[in-house]
Formats: sequence, structure tokens, C-alpha cells
Amino acid sequence: MSNDFSVVGPKIYYTIHTGIPILGDFNITETLIVSWLVMIIITGLCIFLTRDLRIENISKRQAFAEMLVEMGNNFVRNNTGGNKFDKLIPFVSALFATSVISNLISLVGLRSPTADLSTEAGWAVVVFIMITATKIKTNGVGGYLKGFTTPIAVMTPFNILSELATPVSMACRHFGNILSGVVIDGLIYWALGLASAALFGLIPGVVGNFLSNIPILSVGIPAITGVYFDWFSGCMQAFIFCMLTVMYIANAAEEG
Amino acid sequence: MQLQALMMLSAENTQELVTLVPWTFIATIINLFIQMFLIKKFLFKPINDILEKRKNLADKTIREAREAKEEADSLKDQYEDSLTSAHAEAAKIVSDAQKEAQSKADALVKEAQEEAAGIKARAAADIEQERKKAVNEAKDEIGSLAMDIAGKVVEKEINEADHKKLIDEFINQVGA
Repeated sequence: MSNDFSVVGPKIYYTIHTGIPILGDFNITETLIVSWLVMIIITGLCIFLTRDLRIENISKRQAFAEMLVEMGNNFVRNNTGGNKFDKLIPFVSALFATSVISNLISLVGLRSPTADLSTEAGWAVVVFIMITATKIKTNGVGGYLKGFTTPIAVMTPFNILSELATPVSMACRHFGNILSGVVIDGLIYWALGLASAALFGLIPGVVGNFLSNIPILSVGIPAITGVYFDWFSGCMQAFIFCMLTVMYIANAAEEG
Repeated sequence: MQLQALMMLSAENTQELVTLVPWTFIATIINLFIQMFLIKKFLFKPINDILEKRKNLADKTIREAREAKEEADSLKDQYEDSLTSAHAEAAKIVSDAQKEAQSKADALVKEAQEEAAGIKARAAADIEQERKKAVNEAKDEIGSLAMDIAGKVVEKEINEADHKKLIDEFINQVGA
């Protein structure tokens, strides 16, 4: 058992040399593999839930699927106040589902794709583009640019900063929470492994040597801490990300 | 524990812990839109369709129930109308019958009264006739009596005819 503790980035399984400048080589990383897995899980779940749909006398599975759809519809409609943003519903739902499943997939020992800043950065940039597009659509290009000089022209640099801070803060908030979960989970496993090695090392002879190699104390306690760091944090961050997305876009659609 | 290791990577085959990889970034965005499309196609479209269908079914049921109720209401009105007219007709028949009976009774009574009046008139005429007859008889009787009495009084034989004439004059003077 190693006494060193380290948290490393996602593994790189394969590298495709593209030779394109700036973008660099295409790495097939753990992030990508697991995110594909997440997509397969979500899509499979959707197909499974919507099998054998009926109008009357519905199955529990269909009731659950309908509940999910209603939740998605209500989430977007309640936070935007109307049916104006119904086109956003599948996007927000996809964002939420991907985020939640990505966060929770760490429970089965895989590395969350959300523990890679590139993932959240991608999402945040998409959301940022949507916010900006909505603003331009609402106020026109002139109105959008003029919005930076409010309330007074001196504020322009700060307004630009705060505009740019939106995607950065969204991405870093989500990433930071998930990464902290990964780090803390790693720390707890590492500490418990050390503790059980030290504890069972006290037993003399072969039995002690054998038992001290098994992190027996790792069973149990991480499940309890995992309730917060994996379950709560994972669901909460997905919810916050989607909530902010909807709120920002709804705000952007108001004349300002 | 080496803090340095926490922040950085070491092994060859891992990427840095906090970094932005352009290709992963691009792939994530593409994945997000693929996922959006898949969720839309496999979850939202079928479920929204089925919800819409159920809504239509419910609307249809409610509409049909309302129509049935309206029909029942109109039938009820119709029945009430016909019942009312039946009542009126019955009342009319009864009153007609009463009127007819009344008029028949009136006619009968009138006829009876007329008959009675006729009988009475005839009886009165009979009585008058009888009276006249009696008076005439009495006149005759009185005449002969008077003649006898006069004959005896005057002791004078008078011609029967002159006598009678004299008596008739007397009686007429008396009767007038």
C-alpha cells in the first residue's frame, strides 16, 4: 500500500496526432469514454422508458417517463414564466441528465466526465452563446452593445468582465464541486487504507501481513460521506447549472 | 503525503488535473447537442405525443358528456311540454263535457217547463170552458126559473118566445 496520495487527471488511452496547430492532438481520454457511456445510458433509459406507450391504463414505467417530461416542462416554464422558451426544454433536460449521470457515475468507480474542466467549459460556452444570442435577438446588436455602458460609460470594462465571468463562474463552480468530491473521496479512501493497514499490522505474523494489505476500514464510511460529496453535490450542481442557464436566458430575453 | 502530487500529474498517460483540452471541449459541445437531439427524439417527442393524445381524449369525453346532457335536457323539456299540453287537453275535454251536460240539462229543464206551461194553459182553458159551460147552464137554469117565477108573479100568459127574449135581456143586464 502506497503511503503517497495523489489525484491525477483523466487517463489518456489513445492519442491521435492531428498536427492541427492550437487544437493539438486528439486524446481519447477517460472523460470522453465515460461521457459516451453516459450518453448511451441516458439514451437507453429514454428508449426503455418510452417503450409500449399507452393512453390509458399506463405502466409505472410510463408514469415515470411522463413525470420526467412534466418536470422538465415545468422547470423551464416556471423559471421563464410562460411557454416562450419551450425550445429550451430538451436542451436543459439534456444538460441536466448528462450532468447528473456524469456526476453520479463516479459511484460505480468510473471517473466523472465532469471532473474535467473541458466538459464544463464546453457547456458553459454553449450557454454563454445562447445568452448572448438571446440578448441580441431581444435588443438588437446596437442595444446589446449599448447595454455594456449602463448605468454610465465608465462601467463598460466592468460590465464586459461580469459578462465574461458568467460562463467562467458556471464552469468553475461545477467543476470545482465535482473535483472536490473526487479529491475528498480519494483522501478518505487513502486515509482509511492507511488506518486499516496500521490497525491490522498490529496483528503479528502472516495473518497481520495479509490483512494489512486489505483496506477493510474502507467499507462503510465512504458510503456515508458519499451521500454528500457524490449524491447531494452531484445533483445540486447539475440543478444549479441548469437553473442558472434558464435564468440567464430568461433574463436576457427581457428588454434591458 | 505529497501536496505536489495533488495538484499535478506525473504519469505519462494522464492529462493535467485542471486544464482545458480543446478537442475534449469541442467533443463535449457536440456530445451535448447529440444528447439533446436523442432526448428530444426518444423521450420528449413520444411522451408529449401521448400526453397530447390523452388530453384530446379527455376533452372529447367531456365534450360528449356535455352533448349528452344537452340532449337529455332538451328531451326533458320536450316531455314536460307534451305533459303540459296533455293536461290542458284533458282539462278541455272535461270542461267541454261539463258544458255539454249543462246545456243538455238546461234544455231538458226548459222543455219540461214549457210542457208544464202547456199543460197548465190547457188546464186553464178547460177550466174556463167548464166555467163558461156552467155559467151557460146556470143561465139557462136561471132563465127557466125566472120564467117560471115571472109567470107565476105576473100571472099572465106570455108567449114563450117573447118571454125568453125578455129574460135574456134581463140576464145580459145582470151579467154585464
